Amino acid sequence: MSVIVPRGEAFLRPGGPVGCLVIHGFTGAPAEMRWFGEQLAGRGYSVLGVRLFAHATQLEDMRRARPQDWLASVEDGYHLLRGLSESIVVLGLSLGGILALHTASRLPVAGVVAMSTPYVIKSPWLRRLRPLLPALSAVIPTMAKDAPDWRDPELARDHVEYAANPVRAAATLLDVHAEMLAGLPRIRVPVLLMASHGDDTAPPAHSRAIFERLTTTDKELLLVENSGHVITRDRERQRVAEAAAAFTRRVTGWPAGPKRKARR
Amino acid sequence: MSAVILPGAEPFLFRRGPVGCLLVHGFTAAPQEMVRLGAHLANHGYTALGVRLAGHGTSLDDLARTRWTDWLASAQDGLDLLHGLCDRIVLLGLSMGGLLSILLAEAEPPAGLVLMSTPTLVPPNRLRPLLRPASPIYRRIPKGPPDWFDPSAAAERVAYAAYPTRSMAEVADLIEIARAALPRVQAPALVIHSLNDDFVVPANAQTLMAELGSRHKRLLVVEGSNHLVTLDAQRQTVFDAALAFVRRTAGPAR
Repeated sequence: MSVIVPRGEAFLRPGGPVGCLVIHGFTGAPAEMRWFGEQLAGRGYSVLGVRLFAHATQLEDMRRARPQDWLASVEDGYHLLRGLSESIVVLGLSLGGILALHTASRLPVAGVVAMSTPYVIKSPWLRRLRPLLPALSAVIPTMAKDAPDWRDPELARDHVEYAANPVRAAATLLDVHAEMLAGLPRIRVPVLLMASHGDDTAPPAHSRAIFERLTTTDKELLLVENSGHVITRDRERQRVAEAAAAFTRRVTGWPAGPKRKARR
Repeated sequence: MSAVILPGAEPFLFRRGPVGCLLVHGFTAAPQEMVRLGAHLANHGYTALGVRLAGHGTSLDDLARTRWTDWLASAQDGLDLLHGLCDRIVLLGLSMGGLLSILLAEAEPPAGLVLMSTPTLVPPNRLRPLLRPASPIYRRIPKGPPDWFDPSAAAERVAYAAYPTRSMAEVADLIEIARAALPRVQAPALVIHSLNDDFVVPANAQTLMAELGSRHKRLLVVEGSNHLVTLDAQRQTVFDAALAFVRRTAGPAR
């Protein structure tokens, strides 16, 4: 038996002494980071795509997830990737972006790329509802997802994700998100934030707010136009991957090449 | 704010050649109990990856929330990652790690399977049906006194101080599910058990040997070790036997 759904597996591509730890989003799976990870591997990096606790198995598992479970999943990937690399850049999408920023405030990393990262989860009223969510989840365990915002509708066909949003896990999402926000001033490494104007879940204003709260002096914000929330797969994925690779190269100095004068 | 995983409980990856070993620790423990074995295999050219099972190496309450399927998913993650580095893989599991290795081997036959101190028999216990309902009230079952033959091994040990009651129910279920899978396991197997294991008695190994579907299976009995054969006084014997088995079933390291 395999408890992990087809194409939901964690992945590892060995490469050079710089590692890229890639983290998928809420109710998603490593599959949404695979193409993106391949682009980094193609440029010589060691790449590890984690599978977060309770993801890519069965929706009911999400009820058990707490912030420390997802943080531990990221730490697992970090320690295993250290077996291949000296320095690590953490790159995450949505919840993955939250966890990447959270990890950068606690563990030694060379840099962070946080993509489509929310500043507010869904709406301010959800945060006010947080104390009620565990009890509510006993009666209403899941809620329907919003309509997807793919600019390339073909991508919807092979996207690996849970069909609905688990309510108890939404509380966990809120909690880990709050921890991430509190940790932003502690981040002392370079940060690249990326967002899309076409993202219904975390539009550019969210990344701008995170940008404002980062106290690190080396921070960038890149906005794309023609993409939905999953910018690692949608129409602007090439530009997103190139920006991530360029950032990784700049902050780690690897692979070494002709000196570049100006930053992107 | 610091790391969630306890110091010494981190998963490990020793990258060497294209033949890989997946090392799976046991219940309430951590990758620490497999790291010396991993290092021994790596010293001889084999890639070694030691997973951290969900709920382990963090806090006892985290473990209490997990189910055996979470542990299996963690072990599967390790295998999926190792596939990125290696084309031939041997699974090595200690105790409950052996149960998870059996299920992995059933789904995807490895080059070889090493089962150490692995239970097949759930002790008959009238209290077993009560484990789940009682667990919110009686949350923990204390561990017995240490029974090391080499007391210095205790110093390195990273494990929880008690068993979460709720998780004991999961372990009991997992034993039965893994036992049912044994006839379908075909991979060459090495079963290692200590004559002095008071925790998972040697009869368990005999059942393993009888019910494993593998055509090629061997039992190695050691003496003068407790349940944790990868840590206690006979660990070198265990390491040597595991290495020889890996070489025999998966080939030379390069």
